[in-house]
Amino acid sequence: MLLIKCPWCGARAETEFSYGGEADIKRPEAPDKLSDKEWADYLFMRKNPRGTHRELWNHSQGCRRWFGAERNTVTYQIADIFTLSEDSG
Amino acid sequence: MFKESNRSHGLESFIAPESEQNSQAQIKVSIQSNVAHINLRGKIKHRPFLEHMETVLDQKLPVKPNTTNFENHSIFWLGPDEWLILCPLSEATKLVKDLQGSGGSMHAAVNDVSGGQIALRLDGNHVRDVLAKGCTLDLHPSVFGQGMCAQSNLAKANVLISMGHEPHAFDLIVRRSFSDYLLHWLKVAAAEYTTEWSES
Amino acid sequence: MQPNRLKTGGRINRSKPLNFFFNGKAFKGYEGDTLASALLANDVKLVGRSFKLRRPRGIVGSGAEEPNSIMQVDKGAMAQPNVRATQVLLHDGLIAKSTRGWPSLRFDIGFMLDVFSSIFSAGFYYKTFMHPRPFWKYYERFIRKSAGFGKAPEHSDPETYEHRNAHCDVLVAGGGPAGLMAALTAASSGARVLLADDQTEFGGSLLNTATHVNSKPGSEWVRQTVSALSKLDNVTLLNRSTVFGYHDHNFLTIVQESDDHVRQREWRVRAKQVILSQGAFERPLVFCNNDRPGIMQASAVSTYINRYAVCPGERAIIFTNNDSAYQTALDLKRAGATVAAVVDSRKKGGGSYAAAVEQAGIPLLYGHLITNVSGQNHITKAHIAKWDGDNDAIIENSIKIPCDLIAMSGGWSAAVHLHSQAGGQNQWDHNLCSFVPGAISQQTISAGAGNGKWALEDCLQDGHDAGMSAAKRCGLQPIASEQLPAVSEIHTTPIEPLWRVPATVDPDRCPKQFLDFQNDTCVSDIRLAVREGYRNVEHVKRYTALGFGTDQGKLGNINGMAVLAETLGKPLEDVGTTTFRPPYTPVSFGACAGESVGSLYDPVRKTAMHDLHRSAGAKFENVGQWHRPWYFPKRGESLDAAVARECLKTRQSVGILDASTLGKIDVQGPDAVKFLERIYTHNVGNMSVGRCAYGIMLGEDGMVMDDGVMARIDDQHFYLTTTTGGAAAVLSWLELWLQTEWPELDVFLTSVTDHYSTIAVSGPNSMKLIEKIGCDIPLTSDQFPFMSIRNAHLNRIPVQLFRVSFSGELAFEINIDSNYAAGMWEVLIDAGQEFDITPYGTEAMHVLRAEKGFIIVGQDTDGSVTPVDLRMNWMLSKDKDFIGKRSLSRPDSLRDDRKQLVGLLSNDGKTVLLEGAQLVEDPAASIPIPMCGHVSSSYMSSCLGHPIALALVAGGHSRIGQSLYASSGEKSFVPVTITNPIFYDKKNELQNV
Repeated sequence: MLLIKCPWCGARAETEFSYGGEADIKRPEAPDKLSDKEWADYLFMRKNPRGTHRELWNHSQGCRRWFGAERNTVTYQIADIFTLSEDSG
Repeated sequence: MFKESNRSHGLESFIAPESEQNSQAQIKVSIQSNVAHINLRGKIKHRPFLEHMETVLDQKLPVKPNTTNFENHSIFWLGPDEWLILCPLSEATKLVKDLQGSGGSMHAAVNDVSGGQIALRLDGNHVRDVLAKGCTLDLHPSVFGQGMCAQSNLAKANVLISMGHEPHAFDLIVRRSFSDYLLHWLKVAAAEYTTEWSES
Repeated sequence: MQPNRLKTGGRINRSKPLNFFFNGKAFKGYEGDTLASALLANDVKLVGRSFKLRRPRGIVGSGAEEPNSIMQVDKGAMAQPNVRATQVLLHDGLIAKSTRGWPSLRFDIGFMLDVFSSIFSAGFYYKTFMHPRPFWKYYERFIRKSAGFGKAPEHSDPETYEHRNAHCDVLVAGGGPAGLMAALTAASSGARVLLADDQTEFGGSLLNTATHVNSKPGSEWVRQTVSALSKLDNVTLLNRSTVFGYHDHNFLTIVQESDDHVRQREWRVRAKQVILSQGAFERPLVFCNNDRPGIMQASAVSTYINRYAVCPGERAIIFTNNDSAYQTALDLKRAGATVAAVVDSRKKGGGSYAAAVEQAGIPLLYGHLITNVSGQNHITKAHIAKWDGDNDAIIENSIKIPCDLIAMSGGWSAAVHLHSQAGGQNQWDHNLCSFVPGAISQQTISAGAGNGKWALEDCLQDGHDAGMSAAKRCGLQPIASEQLPAVSEIHTTPIEPLWRVPATVDPDRCPKQFLDFQNDTCVSDIRLAVREGYRNVEHVKRYTALGFGTDQGKLGNINGMAVLAETLGKPLEDVGTTTFRPPYTPVSFGACAGESVGSLYDPVRKTAMHDLHRSAGAKFENVGQWHRPWYFPKRGESLDAAVARECLKTRQSVGILDASTLGKIDVQGPDAVKFLERIYTHNVGNMSVGRCAYGIMLGEDGMVMDDGVMARIDDQHFYLTTTTGGAAAVLSWLELWLQTEWPELDVFLTSVTDHYSTIAVSGPNSMKLIEKIGCDIPLTSDQFPFMSIRNAHLNRIPVQLFRVSFSGELAFEINIDSNYAAGMWEVLIDAGQEFDITPYGTEAMHVLRAEKGFIIVGQDTDGSVTPVDLRMNWMLSKDKDFIGKRSLSRPDSLRDDRKQLVGLLSNDGKTVLLEGAQLVEDPAASIPIPMCGHVSSSYMSSCLGHPIALALVAGGHSRIGQSLYASSGEKSFVPVTITNPIFYDKKNELQNV
């Protein structure tokens, strides 16, 4: 069970969190201008790396804030925790 | 014409009759039914919000994570833009109205959520041991002390755990629909101790 | 009478004799015994039979590594299957049975398997029983029975179990000399230390050997150290506690055998630093018939003598390739046994122990091997031969020496299990002939024998250093010991590897040389696997079952891997180990479940009216974690009859439903409209204050994700409902968009699901009922039209009143502070008597909505259904973007053979279709019959007098009126006709009254 350091509440057990998939996926500004392929890339394609992965977590049983983590998918060590916008706190 | 709609927390079956109360119990559980729960949302960077709220409340909002302010009402930090305020039931309607202020320009949300939450107090030397059976927080006095609060899980229910000014008393706030489950769990988890269940 | 019990010594309590039974026979042991030590004290040699070949087996080890003495302990509900006798603490009246050996230990029907053992080689089960496949179920029954697994308890466990979360600075796993030293040192810094050991007493090897510390017996230093630790507030000592799992981020699980109010306790520990000091396992030597009863680990023999005052034989031979077993020779001698010889495979030896052995007059045979033994149910002779170190030699000219005990030592393997579970690497140490812990990314330090430090002096030093490092890594200041406990200096001769004794004849045809006792994996099996093409250690493991048993290869794995390496012609380090996974030793389901059993298995969420429903006789169903009234039967009424009545009464007069489980979200803020426009498909901005709308939200893939009612309470204030099951997920998803994609939007979302209870009152008399209990606002449609919301007082209690309908009838939903909800429900029921008010449950609710063609997200949709498939095109705004909109024009969303929502009617007007039934065009088509859809909802409609169904049918919208067949069980089909999904009040007039 991971120990995840919520940027606000501090280190908590993984059971307090829910996973949100790959981070840094920006919703396109004008979806209707995109080709089917470009839209499908946004919708479906994920990096799924072996090694460092930037991903989203939600402190769902705590402060309900979403934040990012840089987690190694091999060792599960979390190298960095980041907030998603300066407005988020 | 019809009977009054009685106020009820639905947990009456857990409370022992007065005659069976055990004041020597190792763990005392009391359901705090006479408080109103008010949820407050707003951005502290927005100065008018903070000024208005602190004026109405006549106390500071705890802005440091996992902390509380009990100077006037009991206020708990829930998130960077969210607080829980407990106040006497009789003051709730006015307080909600005052907090809401004059309308939309406040960039805030005030919700009376009294119907949705149950507050419990657990008091006794072994409360930490009982809580440790179902809570992953480190509740060691050096880590989780008086004036602290945290939202976490107790068994399989989401709870707000906090400590007031008494050394062995923990306050729990749980969603109403989980309260029956949580009290059943507490009964099992505290079975090795003598307990007293009451309401205040 | 315990023939093998020594008169003095040991850590048993001779003043507390205990009675116990083994395979029906009564025996006596002492407090402090394990079941194994008590059996050995009573000279019980045969304790079980092997898994595959049914060979007789005796006790080999003294701890977690024991492969043979697998017992069923106690009876009935208290039965514990498959426990190791070496780890069962003896208690008075204990009843133990061998789990293997059917019908009896002495005459085992499976013994014929050994006679024909050549056909039971590696992969036997795969080769023989897997074909023809359908026959496996018959084979399995036979194999299971003759394999003799223990029996699961027959009744539910009367004992209780619990979980306990704990946090510490330093967790020390293993309380031998290194662990005690580490705990003591770390604790000196004030660190919160938790020390766990699987034995009853701390001390590990110090209690098993005759070693001295500070010129006194090792047990004295243990006593002082444990006493010092137990006085410290910052130290928690857990004995009888096995650390069985090392998970991510220094999260460890410990199972504690408990004497207090629970049977076992599972500790779930988060440690800042972990010190692994679980010691090492002694390896068997691999020679012909090395599994015969009477052949034991040398260290186990020493343990039984020193710790339990049991000498397991009278005439012993030591067989070793290293110095440690020499201590066993001395222990045996001291215990009064004859040591016929120490057989050492090395050409020469020397050192402190060798000198002591020689001084004791024990014959020492260097450059010799035990090649085979005589005796079946117990050894009688050892066959000993000279050896020059050639692995491929065929050994001949054995001499035979009578003995009843062989104490063997093939060297030691550091217990790297937890280190490996934690993701650590292992490296092969040629000098030690052991894997030792290598690099690891968790906060872990290995110490003592588990770190390859065999000598006591090195163990103590290593433990001390580990304690220092761990405390310092926590940012604390430990106090270094000025002087470590003094132990006498020992000179040893290095181990020389001996992975298998050369065969007496061809290695593939000689009597079996066992590697894994529990699974009967032999040298010849590994060789066969390689001949058949297996190369990877993980594959060889699965093909030969090496390390598959309850001991998980603690005894045999390294020998097995070495033989594999030899056969492959590779160095052992290139073959590597198999993966170590939790649990380290078997853990009971009770400990895993803790308090979460029975009614606490999963939270039961109850609405504020729950108790009233129960008093009214409701039957409940689970909807997620909620318990909701399913139907309200009158005396003797069936489900069907109750639902028919509830539906009819609601449509004829008035019904009342507890709809409190709906998810409810309060939305406020200047940007509320902007936000909701992006989430919902319809035009939110067009809604005027006080109006409601049905809303759907899509995933970005264009599929319907959730639906509900949205109400505009004020300009910047909305209220949303979600499905019961979707409440938490939808709120979290909305927050995701708000916090990550659009943080600039000033909107706050607050769950009010539990605050508001929702009472739905439906039917032509609903308005009269609301008026009757006292409502302070006008209810008529001109003032309070369909799809509106008003704040009101009902019976003087403030409520939110919705004019919405999920039944198609004139209906109201009352949102009320849950503290007053039960009272309001009672008031409505009382007032409703004159209208024959009918409480209805989820089943009637489903029927009523299906009659109207209203969908249930998650029942009529499955994450692959677009709003167009549901004919909700009218809800899709053309004037704005919203989540999922772009996906609706993807080629896949435009296919005209997509599954679309339609109604279905059985052609016979009687058959209620099965929900989930597949739909086909031609039931006579050859199998597999092409399928064109499935039934998603199906009910008997009492109001219409015939069954109705909703279905998703390929291209369904353009197939109204066509016929299909619905499967209705094995090989039978019901003809059905596709219809419009609205069955009742097709023009939607009733709800607008």
